Amino acid sequence: MMADWRARLQQLPRDTRDTLFQLLVIAWTITPHLLHLPPWCGVMSVALLAWRARLALTAAALPSRWLISALLIAASALTFWGQNTLLGKEAGITLLVVLMSLKTLELRARRDALVVFFLGFFLVLTHFLYSQSLLTGLWLLLAVWGLLTAQVLAHMPVGRPTLRRAAGLSARAAGLGLPVMLVLFVLFPRIGPLWGLPQDAQGRTGLSGTMRLGGVASLAEDEAIALRVRFLGPPPAPEQLYFRGPVLSSFDGRDWTRLVPTFPVAERARLELKTSGAPVRYEVTVEPSQLPILPLLEMTPDSAASAPSIAGWLLTLRPDGQWQTDRPIAERQRLVVSSWMQHQHGPLQAVPGLRDLVELPPNSNPRTLQWAADLRRQPLLADADARQLSAAVLQHIRNAGFTYTMEPGPYSGNSIDEFWLDRKLGFCEHFASAYVVIMRAMDVPARVVTGYQGADPDPQDGYWIVRQRNAHAWAEIWQAGIGWMRVDPTAAVAPDRVQRGRSLRAPPGLVAGAINSINPAIAEQLRRAWETANNRWNQWVLNYSRGQQFDLLRELGFNTPSWQDLTSTLILLLCAAALAGAAWAWWDRRRQDPWQRLQQRVAQQLLQLGVHVQPHHPPRERAAQVRQQWGTAGEPLAQQLDELDRQRYGSTWSPGQLSRWWRSFQELARVATKSR
Amino acid sequence: MANTPAGNDRPGWSPRARFRQWWQSRLPLTDTWVLGQRNIYILPTRAGFTFGATLVVMLLAAINYQLNLGYALTFLLAGAALVSMHQAHGNLRGLTLHLRPVASGFAGQAAPLEVVLTSPARERHGLGLRFEDRNRFGDANTWCDVPAGGQCSVQLRFVPPTRGWHPTPALVLETLFPFGLFRAWTVWRPAARALAWPQPEQPAPALPHSASTPGDEATRHRVAGSEWDGVRPWRRGDTMRQVVWKKVARGGELVSRETAGTGSRALWLDWTEAGTTDTELRLSRLTAWVLQADAEGLDCGLRLPGRELAPQHGEAHKRQALDLLGGWGDAR
Repeated sequence: MMADWRARLQQLPRDTRDTLFQLLVIAWTITPHLLHLPPWCGVMSVALLAWRARLALTAAALPSRWLISALLIAASALTFWGQNTLLGKEAGITLLVVLMSLKTLELRARRDALVVFFLGFFLVLTHFLYSQSLLTGLWLLLAVWGLLTAQVLAHMPVGRPTLRRAAGLSARAAGLGLPVMLVLFVLFPRIGPLWGLPQDAQGRTGLSGTMRLGGVASLAEDEAIALRVRFLGPPPAPEQLYFRGPVLSSFDGRDWTRLVPTFPVAERARLELKTSGAPVRYEVTVEPSQLPILPLLEMTPDSAASAPSIAGWLLTLRPDGQWQTDRPIAERQRLVVSSWMQHQHGPLQAVPGLRDLVELPPNSNPRTLQWAADLRRQPLLADADARQLSAAVLQHIRNAGFTYTMEPGPYSGNSIDEFWLDRKLGFCEHFASAYVVIMRAMDVPARVVTGYQGADPDPQDGYWIVRQRNAHAWAEIWQAGIGWMRVDPTAAVAPDRVQRGRSLRAPPGLVAGAINSINPAIAEQLRRAWETANNRWNQWVLNYSRGQQFDLLRELGFNTPSWQDLTSTLILLLCAAALAGAAWAWWDRRRQDPWQRLQQRVAQQLLQLGVHVQPHHPPRERAAQVRQQWGTAGEPLAQQLDELDRQRYGSTWSPGQLSRWWRSFQELARVATKSR
Repeated sequence: MANTPAGNDRPGWSPRARFRQWWQSRLPLTDTWVLGQRNIYILPTRAGFTFGATLVVMLLAAINYQLNLGYALTFLLAGAALVSMHQAHGNLRGLTLHLRPVASGFAGQAAPLEVVLTSPARERHGLGLRFEDRNRFGDANTWCDVPAGGQCSVQLRFVPPTRGWHPTPALVLETLFPFGLFRAWTVWRPAARALAWPQPEQPAPALPHSASTPGDEATRHRVAGSEWDGVRPWRRGDTMRQVVWKKVARGGELVSRETAGTGSRALWLDWTEAGTTDTELRLSRLTAWVLQADAEGLDCGLRLPGRELAPQHGEAHKRQALDLLGGWGDAR
C-alpha cells in the first residue's frame, strides 16, 4: 500500500509533485487556525486547496483571474458580515487564510512560490497570538521547514530533486543559522509594546480589578497557568497558599470594586504590616495577564531587604496589602520573593477611614440585611466581637444547606438575597460577597479579597502550578486589637476547595478519557511528563524576558545592566562574527582546490625521490615516469598513482578520498626511500 | 566595420550601457574563468528585500504582542536568510568555467557555445548561464547542476548578426539557490572569438562561367551528369553524385567519376567577377558559389584581392574558403 503510493508519487511530473507538496504545506500551516476561524473560512480554504490539487493531478488549466477576484470579494464580504470590520485580528487572519488558499490557484510557475512563502510566515506568526505552547511550536516548526523546503525546490530547476534532498538542504540552512538565531533571541533587547495594544490582544485571562457574581466562574474553568512557584525552602501547606490580588471594598449592589476613599489621607486605614517568624522564600513566574497586578503570597512586606523587584519597573504595595506594577504585565515575569505566613496588618484601633468598609448600598438586598439584623439581635451574640459574629455566620453556612457548585445558574436583581435565602447554590465569590455584606450589615468592617488559592496537587519539576481555575475570592474582617483577619467562607461549605486547592475538574477530553480508562497510572505519567516538558518550555523559551537578559549580562560581568548594554553586546558579537567572516574569506582566497593542492604535494614528494614531474601531468603520466626511473622498486608508488587516476576519473569520485590516498602514498614513498 | 563589439553599435547608448562597457572592459579576456571572491558579486533580489520587509513587520508584531515565539521565528528566518547568502555565494565560489572552442557558422545562424562547469568539491545547484546583454539575447537562463567533483556542460546559442570575427559576448553565471533571496553572479568575458561566414546570397546565383584563369581554357568546362571521362576509387570529399552507383552495385567497391575538370581544370571564383561593387554582397555571392560548387563536387579556387585559395574540393577546402570569406577585411 505504502510502496504503491510512493510509486504513484514518483510517476507524477515534477511540477505536479511540487505543487502538491506546496498545497500540503499550506494545509498544514492553515489547519491550527481552523479551530478559531469562522466555519465558512475553513470550508472555503479546504475546498480551494482540494480543487487546486485536483487541477494539478489532472493537469487542467487554472481558473481565470475573474473567478479568483470574485471569490476574494465574496470572502471579504463574508468576513465583513461576520466581524463588522476588515481590520481586526480575527478578520485579518480570516482574510490571510483565504488569500493564501486563493493564491494557490495562481501558482503557475515555481517562482510564484515566493508569495506563498511570505504569506506562510505571516500565518505562522499569527498562530502565536492564540497559543505559544510547546505543541504549537513543534507544529509550526514543521510548517516553517515545509515552507523553506518548497522554496528550495523552486530554486532547483534542473532535473527532479527528491523532496528529501530539498528538505535536507533547507534544514541545513536553518541549522547553520541557528547560532545567529540564538544570539539574537538571547540578546535582542526586549522592549515593551511600541504602541497601544489593539483591544483584541487583551483580556486573555486573569483576575480583573472588579468582581460581579459569575465573573470568576468562567475563570475557574480555565486550565491556563497563572503562576508558577518554586519554593526555595520547604513549601507551606496548600491551605496557606493565598496569593493576594485586588482587594475589593466598594459594593454598589451588583459590582465589587476597589475602594475609593472618602476620608482624607490622615484618617485612612494604613497597612501597618507586622511580620513574625521565618519568611517563605520562593521564585514566582507570573504569566502575562495584561493587568498591573502582581499576585504574591499573603503577606509580602515592602522592606528594603525582601521587597520584590523587576528591573526597570516600579512595584508598589497598596495600603490594602496588594502588590501592583506600574504597567500591565504583558510578558512573563520572574522574581524572587519573601513572604511571611505569620503576619498582622491593619490598624489596631478604629480609624475613621474604616467607616468606608461598612458602607452598603441602600435599598439593596433588604432581606439579607434583615437576616443580619436578626442575627445581631440574638441574645447570645449581644456582646459578640467580630470574630464571634463571623463564627456564627460561618456556622450558618455550614448548617443551612448551602451547596458549593461551579454552575449555580444566573443571579440577578437582589442577587445576594436570592443566593443567601433562596437558592443557596454558589461558589467562592457568592460566599465571599454574601459574607462581607452580612458582616457589614452587622457593622463589622469587611472586604472581599480576590486572588489565587492553592496550586496543582503535585509540583512539576519543582514548580507548583497555579492555574486560572485556582482563582478565588475570600474575605477579611477587621477587629480592634487584631487588625484584619482572613476569613474564607467557602472553606465552611467546601473545605476541599481550600485544603487541597482543587476546584471541580472539567471532564477529561476524549483521548485523555480513553487512556484514563485503560491505565490511569500511564495516563497520569504521560500527563506529568507532558507538563514537565511544557514547564521547561515556558521557563526557558516563553518566559525569557528582560529580567533574564539582565541576569545573563550580570553573569557576563556588567554590574548594572541596561538595554544599551544588551545592544552593545549584540553589536559586539555581530562585529566579531563579521571579522571572523572576513578572516575566513582572506584564508579562503589563498586556499586551493584540494585536488590541485594534492598534485603539488605529490610533485614535491616525487621530487624528493628524484623524479621531476611537470605540474600539469596527470597521475598516470607521473606513474609512468616513476616506473621509468625506479623500475620495480617504484612499482607500488606507481600503482598508487594509477589508483589515484582511476579514482579521480572514475564514477565514484569524492574529494574525501584524497586524504586517505595521500596517507598511503606517503607511507609508500617512505618505504621506497628506505629501499633505495 | 562589420565586427564592432556588442553594445556600442546601438544609437544613443545610455549611461547604464556606458557604465557596463567601462566595467566589462576591466574584466580580463579568458577562456577559463575560476570563480573566487574577486569575481563573484552578490546582492539581495527583489524577493530578498520583500523578505527583509516581512521580517521587520514580523519583528514589530513580536515586540508589540510580546510574543517570544514570534521573536524566535523571526530570528530563525533571519539566520536562515543569512546562511542562504553564504550558500548562494558558496554555490559559485570555486567553480571553474571553461569555454570549448567555438565552431564557425553562417551569419544569422545560431552558433553553439559550449561551456563546461567544473566543481572541485561540493555539489552545485541551480546555476543559470546566459549572455550578459539581455537586450540582445533575452534573459532566459540555461540551468544546470554540477555534481560533486564533476562537470556539467551547458550549450548557449549565439547568433552572430553579421559576417566576420565576433568576440564571444560576455556571459553571466548566476544562482538564486537556495531560497531566492540573494542573487550571486559573475560576469565572464571569454577570449575566444567566433567567426561568422557571410550569409550565402538568396536565391543562389548561377555559378560564373568564368574565364578569368589566365592560360587555361578548360576552366570553363562545366561538369554535367553525363560527361565523364573515367572512374577512379572513391576519395574522401567526393559527393554522392560523383559515385558511379552502377559500378558499385556490380563490383561492391566505391568508385567515383573522374571528371574532366578534376585536378587540372578548375573553376575560379573571383572577387572581381562577382558582378557588384558592394563588399558584403560580393562576399555573399562568393559564399553562395562556394557552397554550390561544393554541392556539385567541383574544384574551385577562390581569388580575393591579395588572397588566393588554390582550386580543390572537399569539406576542408570548403571551410577554408568560407573562413577566408568570413574573415575578409579583418586584421586577424
